[in-house]
Amino acid sequence: MGERFETEVVVIGGGMTGAGVLRDLALRGIKAILVEQRDLGHGTSTRNHGLLHSGARYAVRDEEAAIESYHENLILKKTVPGSIEQTGGLFVKVPKDDDSYVQKWLSSCKNIGIPAVEIPIEQALKQEPYLNKKVQTVYQVPDGSVDCFTLVLDVTADAAAHGAKVLTYHEVVDLLIEENRVMGVRVRDAFTGEEKEIFSKLVVNAAGPWVGKIAEQVGIPFHIINNKGMLAVFSHRFNKQVINRLRLPGDADIFVPAHDVTIFGTTGINVEDPNDFSLNREELEGMLEEGKKLIPSIHDMRLIRAYSGSRPLYQESSTNDSSGRNVSRGMALIDHQKRDGLDGLLTITGGKLTTFRLMAEKTVDLVCGKLGVKQTCTTHLEMIPNRKAKGFFNEVDMAPAAKQKLIHWAGTNATKIEASLREGHSSVVICECEQVTWAEVEAAIPENGRFHLGDIRRRTRLGMGPCQGTFCHHRAASCAVENGKATIEEANWALQQAILERKKGMGVVATGETAKQVQLMAAIYQVSLGMKEGEYEHV
Amino acid sequence: MLDLFFHEDTFEKCLKCNACVVNCPVSNETFDFGGPKHLGPELKRLMDNQQVIDDKRIELCTLCGNCDISCPENVHVSTLTAYAKAIHSELSGTKFRDVVLSNAEFVGKLASAFAPITNLAMGMRPVRKVMEATVGIPADRLFPKYRFNHFNRLYNKKTASTKRKVAYYVGCYATYNAPNVATSFVKVMEYNGIEVVKPEQKCCGVPMFANGQLKQGLKNANFNIQRFLEYTRQGYDVVVTCTSCTLALKKEYVSFLQTEDAKELASHVYDADEYLRVLMENGELNTNFAPREEKARYYAPCHMKAQGIGNPAMDILELIPGYEIQDTGAGCCGQCGTFGFKVEKYDVSMNIGNKLAKTVNDVNAEYTVTECGMCKNQLDQLTDQPVKHPMEILAEAYLVGDKVLANK
Repeated sequence: MGERFETEVVVIGGGMTGAGVLRDLALRGIKAILVEQRDLGHGTSTRNHGLLHSGARYAVRDEEAAIESYHENLILKKTVPGSIEQTGGLFVKVPKDDDSYVQKWLSSCKNIGIPAVEIPIEQALKQEPYLNKKVQTVYQVPDGSVDCFTLVLDVTADAAAHGAKVLTYHEVVDLLIEENRVMGVRVRDAFTGEEKEIFSKLVVNAAGPWVGKIAEQVGIPFHIINNKGMLAVFSHRFNKQVINRLRLPGDADIFVPAHDVTIFGTTGINVEDPNDFSLNREELEGMLEEGKKLIPSIHDMRLIRAYSGSRPLYQESSTNDSSGRNVSRGMALIDHQKRDGLDGLLTITGGKLTTFRLMAEKTVDLVCGKLGVKQTCTTHLEMIPNRKAKGFFNEVDMAPAAKQKLIHWAGTNATKIEASLREGHSSVVICECEQVTWAEVEAAIPENGRFHLGDIRRRTRLGMGPCQGTFCHHRAASCAVENGKATIEEANWALQQAILERKKGMGVVATGETAKQVQLMAAIYQVSLGMKEGEYEHV
Repeated sequence: MLDLFFHEDTFEKCLKCNACVVNCPVSNETFDFGGPKHLGPELKRLMDNQQVIDDKRIELCTLCGNCDISCPENVHVSTLTAYAKAIHSELSGTKFRDVVLSNAEFVGKLASAFAPITNLAMGMRPVRKVMEATVGIPADRLFPKYRFNHFNRLYNKKTASTKRKVAYYVGCYATYNAPNVATSFVKVMEYNGIEVVKPEQKCCGVPMFANGQLKQGLKNANFNIQRFLEYTRQGYDVVVTCTSCTLALKKEYVSFLQTEDAKELASHVYDADEYLRVLMENGELNTNFAPREEKARYYAPCHMKAQGIGNPAMDILELIPGYEIQDTGAGCCGQCGTFGFKVEKYDVSMNIGNKLAKTVNDVNAEYTVTECGMCKNQLDQLTDQPVKHPMEILAEAYLVGDKVLANK
């Protein structure tokens, strides 16, 4: 048996909910350790639209979710400015969509207090030239774009800055139970296989689609609907604002601008396995057919990849709704002492990316009640350090596109990046599509940690552009070896994993240029560099 | 105000393969240039319907078009870099020198009006030193000579009555610096029984595009399109002796304007040798060339290569009995129109040019043949070999051939 830790609260799951809970605990002075089976945000938290809901989407069908979303929207814009782009959003009615819904929607928005302002069609078309010229009505709402990668990283980093501990690549293999009480967790290091025990007063299960698996380990029946949605990434960011279809929420009706790409989705299919990230070409084609009604040139635009993630929808009673669209997006906080007579375990699930902070607040309120802590929540007031870099980054002499990215991105790594840039050659752009410099890549490689291109990608956007890492992956790997950040074996392993992972997402959209891109990638890695076709280990 | 959100969606096809970067003469000389891939399709991807990015390194792009030729995906790289230039000029302004250089026609008019003085002054070291210090035109750079008897003074025919009729787009260089090329072309056409007219015309705009003066360049483009359409609609073919002007009329007007008129005109435009090749293919070419026991080397200007029409100059010159011509296979000359006249680009220009000079010297011949006046300028500066335009050689071959025929 390996290391043993003691703490007050163990949080299972390094997604947005877990990160939010960890930070709230830390801000209230409660000692906590977060355990995550892979990297932060491995699950649904980075497999979504990245949409900061204004609540308008749920106004008619799910008033509670709409109210929570709007409320949190306003808070997050103030407290996490570095991960949110206040793009605004449009709700657009296209011909043949139900006219009566518009009035219903409008009055619901009004009741809830979500500002929905009608704008002239010419104005909308000027702002969004790719929009269908035949749109009938356009409303503007305060939707936004969330960078879910930086959000989960920054929230966790802020928790760590307040004393919390984070163990990534540590999978929960068992809950430690003594006399109807959860005493902690046993985790296994994904790289070394070493097992560790963490003892705590409380365990918070925030494992998203995996919450059921965790509950199963202690024999608790826990029904979660894992509602898988597919999303597609366009090669460039063609819209300035979020574009929603003004109709009863359905498939393929949202386009979200995210950094230099546009993310389009989504679908909803219930799946059994939380590890089911499968992608389906027909599903994609169905989406494009629907999406055409908002963006007519959708088939002419290049798709660079697709991905899928599962919404963990909670419903006390079982349902026959296979689309999952009728299940509330509301959150569910379960005290297993009350529900199942098992002490020391809470489960928080359901909810939205937009409402993660509120979910955390409610969870930690319950934790405080159990632990007898009097501190109240402050996460609605305390800011997470902005990612915007100042001073040096405005003056440094480097290519404008890469510089602009750094100014908006450097964030908590600003000091490291600045030092590296001052040294010399690190302003060289390694990933051209997303304008990632070696300075950023270097700063994202953990000290004494594993060299993992996926982790670097989530921290820098390396390989997220149209070429999907065809060129930057081998550059980053060779720079890492040259600079003593990885051994040749580690670099080879990382390359193999990264290329397989990129290929998976490209495969399903691989027609036209992206099919050629896949071929070019194969030619470079399998032919020129002699890399073996291997299995993706997903670590 | 220029519309910074121009429509050009070929950037989506870029596979990031770097073929354009590898084939870019400037990228091969300096790291200071961001390269055609970044400043073309990559920036456009980041800017499309989003914020404008002004990258000053675009000044180093010569618009030679080698990126377009090398792109396996047919991305319109040089159209995108031309826009990047326009954006840079619009947002950061244009140097006085570059505005002057971009107005080749105005400079030509003025300089040729005072030709003997201009040429004398441009040959004087102290004058050039002052010019380098004040306006940034390098003192060591050879300047093309201006001709007082320029082509506009020599030729003004406006209508033709032959079966084939040619509307000649002369271009600034053949008008003000090399009227001999223009008169040779007219003679070559005469030997083929074709009358040549010279419609009213303005500078093709290439030097303007290269200096970010896109708006002014497109004004000229529209003027030329309208004037020449009047002729093509009466059955005239448009023939050009300058490869950069040809490229503008054939391709650039269409890329920038995307109008039906631009496309219509483009379908009637020929490079002079390409036109002769058409005559040959139709059995209409007069092949009564006097034999010439000469050895020449051909240098293809970038803007000839960019037209994608093979090597028409050699196809025609090889018809002259006894004439031996070999392609140097050399890359860009480095003069690149106005580029080589800028002091801060002079080293890059010379480094590119020196490679060309070496290749030229390696090919054993009596002189060099090329169509482009600016390439000639660089060749004049870097080699001691004479440089001729194909039309000059053909006109002589016809003239002597005619005499031989008359003596029989």
